Amino acid sequence: MALKKGKPTPSSDVPGERQQARDRDGLLQALQADDAMTRRWAARDLAAHSEAAAALVGQLRRECENSVRQVILTSLTQIGNDTAIQGLIDCLYLEDAMLRNAAIEVLKELPDQVAPFMGKLLQDPDPDVRIFAVDVLESLRHPHVEEWLIEVISQDPHVNVCATAVDLLGEVGSEQAKAALISLKQRFADEPYIQFASDLALKRIEAE
Amino acid sequence: MKRILVIDDAATVRLYHREILENAGFDVSEAINGLEALEKIEEATFDLYLVDINMPKLDGYGFLRALRQRPIPQAPAIMISTESSANDRQAALVAGANLYILKPIKPEQLLPHVRGLLGEWQQP
Repeated sequence: MALKKGKPTPSSDVPGERQQARDRDGLLQALQADDAMTRRWAARDLAAHSEAAAALVGQLRRECENSVRQVILTSLTQIGNDTAIQGLIDCLYLEDAMLRNAAIEVLKELPDQVAPFMGKLLQDPDPDVRIFAVDVLESLRHPHVEEWLIEVISQDPHVNVCATAVDLLGEVGSEQAKAALISLKQRFADEPYIQFASDLALKRIEAE
Repeated sequence: MKRILVIDDAATVRLYHREILENAGFDVSEAINGLEALEKIEEATFDLYLVDINMPKLDGYGFLRALRQRPIPQAPAIMISTESSANDRQAALVAGANLYILKPIKPEQLLPHVRGLLGEWQQP
């Protein structure tokens, strides 16, 4: 595809900055540029094009430059559609801890959009992914958070998934979490951390 | 008294480690992420770091990489994580951890590691 030459702007003589067409196709092409600044500007402007979510997610996984990654994450947050959310969720499976953590932080900011995916995520076969899902719940401020956490500590077979959920129940748990916490203590009677964290959560609930 | 900095975003985990370590006679400070830990090491010297991997703002890898580049007296670091893949373990050691152990931690597991690293540590 031929690129349209954009109208010269005061910033057009800065290397990599806004030298390509700013329509969606031009921005998608700029997102692949060798120059990081060009990719960053393209990622920023693509926030206005919800149908660019898949391309942004693809670039996020390839992108080596941290500053570009940050802008892509911000654009995906602004787009916030199912493609963006699924792309961010897919990052939870990556070995790249920095990208995984960044994805978790972005997902935390999108409670309503993430909620429909949460049930499946909490059932993922990989316990690390279930832990990341509980991490996302931490700031989700969604009405179902306590219900999801109770379900996790009642059913999840993995001690670390339950431990992460108990940490959070210690902050958001109410009277309705008590029975599940007591039952968790019995299920993991040999795990000092579960005993400690459950006792702490129960004390806090009883003090309220 | 040896000083240990516990770095973890989960308050319950920090409290749990604090109780174990204080009961064993250590002086414990806390940081809620890697960024806060970097501020703490500007203010005080620590003999050992207990570091979680996944934290907002600056994760455990980022903290260790920054720590190891600073011209300050160095100290051993134990990275604690729920992740068990070989890659995570390798990444922790490359970032500057001296030991990588998995949650859930039991006091009788943690304390020998802490005492062992403190005993054998020599400034690079």
